[in-house]
Amino acid sequence: MRRGTFVRWGVPVAAAAVIAAAVGAGPVIAAVGGPPALPERSAQQLLADALAAAEKSPPPMSGTVQQTASLGLPALPAAGAGSPVALLSGSHEVKVWYGANGKFRIAMPTQLNETNLIVNEGQAWYWDSAANTATKLHWQGGARRSPAPSAPAATHADLTPQAAAEKVLEQAGEHTAIRVINTAEVAGRPVYQLVLAPKDDGSLVQEVRLALDGETYVPLQVQVYAKGAAEPAFQVGFTQVTFTPPAEENFTFTPPAGAKVEERSLGADGEAGKETRPGDADRAARGLKVVGDGWTRVAVVKASAADLTGGTPSDGERQGERQGEWRGHGGDEADGRAVVADLLKKATPVSGPWGSGRLISTKLVTALLTDDGRLLVGAVTPEEITEAAGVR
Amino acid sequence: MTTVTHEAGAPSGAAPPSGPAAPAIVTRGLTKRFRGGQVAVDTLDLSVPRGSVFGFLGPNGSGKTTTIRMLLGLVAPTSGEHALLGLPLAAALPRVGALVEGPAFYPYLSGEANLRRFDAADPTAPAATVRRRVGEALDRVGLTAAAGKRYRNYSLGMRQRLAIAAALLGPRELLVLDEPTNGLDPQGTREVRALVKEIAADGTTVFVSSHLLAEVEQMCTHAAVMRAGKLVAQGTIASLSGGQPVRVRIETPDAAAAVRVLAALGLAGVHIGAVEGGTEVTAELGGHAPERINAALVGADVPVRGLAVVRPSLEDVFVGLTGEGFDVDG
Amino acid sequence: MSTAETEIRRAPEPATIVEAGPSAEGRPAAAPAPVARARWTFWRLLGSELGLTFRRPRNLVMLGVLAAVPVLLGVTLRLMTADDEGGVGGIIAAAAGNSLMLTFASLSFLVTLLMPVAVSVVAGDAVAGEAGAGTLRYLLAAPAGRTRLLAVKYLNAVVYGFAVTAVVALAALVTGLALFPVGPVTLLSGTTVPVAEGLLRILVSVGYVGAGMAALAAVALAFSTFTEVSIGAIAASVVLVVVSQVLRAVPQLDGLAGYLLPTWWNDFDGVLRSPVDTAALGEGLLVFGAYALLFGSVAWARFTGKDITS
Repeated sequence: MRRGTFVRWGVPVAAAAVIAAAVGAGPVIAAVGGPPALPERSAQQLLADALAAAEKSPPPMSGTVQQTASLGLPALPAAGAGSPVALLSGSHEVKVWYGANGKFRIAMPTQLNETNLIVNEGQAWYWDSAANTATKLHWQGGARRSPAPSAPAATHADLTPQAAAEKVLEQAGEHTAIRVINTAEVAGRPVYQLVLAPKDDGSLVQEVRLALDGETYVPLQVQVYAKGAAEPAFQVGFTQVTFTPPAEENFTFTPPAGAKVEERSLGADGEAGKETRPGDADRAARGLKVVGDGWTRVAVVKASAADLTGGTPSDGERQGERQGEWRGHGGDEADGRAVVADLLKKATPVSGPWGSGRLISTKLVTALLTDDGRLLVGAVTPEEITEAAGVR
Repeated sequence: MTTVTHEAGAPSGAAPPSGPAAPAIVTRGLTKRFRGGQVAVDTLDLSVPRGSVFGFLGPNGSGKTTTIRMLLGLVAPTSGEHALLGLPLAAALPRVGALVEGPAFYPYLSGEANLRRFDAADPTAPAATVRRRVGEALDRVGLTAAAGKRYRNYSLGMRQRLAIAAALLGPRELLVLDEPTNGLDPQGTREVRALVKEIAADGTTVFVSSHLLAEVEQMCTHAAVMRAGKLVAQGTIASLSGGQPVRVRIETPDAAAAVRVLAALGLAGVHIGAVEGGTEVTAELGGHAPERINAALVGADVPVRGLAVVRPSLEDVFVGLTGEGFDVDG
Repeated sequence: MSTAETEIRRAPEPATIVEAGPSAEGRPAAAPAPVARARWTFWRLLGSELGLTFRRPRNLVMLGVLAAVPVLLGVTLRLMTADDEGGVGGIIAAAAGNSLMLTFASLSFLVTLLMPVAVSVVAGDAVAGEAGAGTLRYLLAAPAGRTRLLAVKYLNAVVYGFAVTAVVALAALVTGLALFPVGPVTLLSGTTVPVAEGLLRILVSVGYVGAGMAALAAVALAFSTFTEVSIGAIAASVVLVVVSQVLRAVPQLDGLAGYLLPTWWNDFDGVLRSPVDTAALGEGLLVFGAYALLFGSVAWARFTGKDITS
């Protein structure tokens, strides 16, 4: 009987083992299957191939892109799922369909809601099921211009590996040690990993890994590793991808009956430009300065705590004015302000020969708000940023 | 392992006989140690012959119910083996009707629906005849009139009878009744005893557990006595009380004359005792007819106030075996 | 009691010897077509179990309450939208615009807690309730067979889980058809499908949510085998659901969410996308299967070895 007890409980134990094996199957199979055999490439060859491929239009494809950030920020107040602030922590998924001739669709599914950006031959629709609103987007200027960052879906567009990879490539150069790994796999496809490691010790970035599909050189994943962390602090990449042309229905959109339809014109001198970013001119006037170079560049902006949090009760007049300005926006800016106010509360007071201020450090980014009204931000160590604060 | 019958490697000589020749219940070294180390049943070797009405006697907490639960496969023995009707448990249980620790039914169902429910659980019970069999079982315990009544409205006696009806749903070769008269009024108790006798008369083996000595004495042909998890005696009722012969008891003011007459008749174990208002003389009856003893006493002018044949009571035996008194009121 | 189970299979051997013997009187022979017989008696026991479940007033009240919620939701929505746009958006607005959408809105609202509670009550009560009432010992002495009884209990809870889902969907569908316009359905992706396809998608989501409830039933049944107090098993199961829902809402524990059962229940909204998010639905079904397998086997290991002392 007692011997039977062990045999009997062996069944659930075996079930648990089977499930655990199935859950961990991806990594296990990758490990057991040995390194995928991609021919070795030098960084230069790979970059050349990739850039050549980038000049042609990428092949039709579709897949799921996941973005994960663990920046080590303090707990953020709850922000709307669609808000850009939400992207600073946790993981997010978008679905991407890319057809020939620059047609694409990006969908961000959330629970019982979905936002879509559909671009097809100079016409673009932005659909938000939560608001039941379809927005038709026009833009002036170059025909092949991608939707401007001021489009409501800008945050989604930034998530595509293509866009992110371009940014990383720009930064490669004298400050970076580059190597290539040919044994990695992303979304089940063998990839080349271009590893960019900053040479400067002052940087918080350990390395940036850019995964290029072994066959098509389409960037499939970008990972940013902070110093001393085994898991990437920021990662965006495909979790599933197929290089077959997606169904044509994905790129056609007809506003459903009963939905609100809006039109919006985007462009450098478009009306909407002013509408969406009334503070742009204001911000430009404050001036943006860059201190340092390479990976240790620090951005310096004129800003005070009151500016960032929308004022304090003591300067009520100013606050009222600002409030009026912000009323025109959605919840995003309000979310942002709340986050900043929250972060400032948790900031560490620091001081030095350069003055004094409050320091916010995360795994990847350090920010310093000086009491004389400057905001310094960079992917650098606190020492580096206080040094930058000394540069006037 | 709950049965011995087909255990691989068990020496065939040690295994109890299987099939129809086998006793209704056999246990070998049956032991149950509960978590916490308490031994409820300790190396029990029980043998219940077919066709017997077997009393399973012992004070409350002596391991009777645990034994019955092991026999029915509800509790796994720590060690030891057992077999019902010489069959593997799953094959035997459909031929066994059981009442374990009082009735338990679905309060929101009628008596009839309750019986149908338990009949459905028996994989060998033919669904086609369920209506007839449920009707017969209810009829047998006299619950036909209350068949459609919800169980929650049944009286205690009706509940007990419904439980017995559930045990009689199919043709049974063995009935296991755990304290069948528990909580019943005298009328209910009499009804249950009559029912048991009736069932036994059909050739069904009945295994009755009880803490009531009188009940076992009245109903059973065989008995076993449990004490603190151990079996202290088993056998026929007669063999259990074998040490104590039937005696004749004469109440008379002239004891000496009576003793002389009895001695002359050849009765052994003559004994004189005092009773209220006189003396009594007792002797082993042996093969003598009581009426002849009376005639001899009267013939010798012994004044007889009373004459009785005293059958031996199990009580003295059992109290001696179990070390504690029984509740003999039942 | 593994022996009780193995012996069922071994039974014919010695049993037939006895049937042939002289004292086997009156007993209908168990020998002919034992397999077909066993199958039939299994369905008979399941039928008895279902009869018990669907006649028990408590279980019917739960179904009634679950049917009433979509009706209330629909009526409230109707009254709210009667005096023009109240600024509601998303699925609620969609429900007011199309009769079929009320079904999805109701499912998404009820699947978070109320439906799981109903399923937990039936599945958590399954073994513990019988043990507490003492009827378990008579079922097992009948003999119902432990594996057989557990299988019947689980299937019964699964049927109830699907019934709960179907009742919510039907009540919502009928309410929606009565109160809101019937017409092509706008999916979350902004595309429109005809009514017939909308109904088909409702059917798929009922199947998916029902499977999710079946996975929960396995968890509650496993709890049920560890106690004789059914309220304990029910409470444990409900607490598990509530705690999972809370953990799911904490953004810092994002990595944990995928392992929690309730995370997957709402993924039925995959049917409302274009194209249908079969990947999410398939993954959800795999998770449900894993939960059912793991907790089903725990329930089995526990129940087949349990001493029935009640």
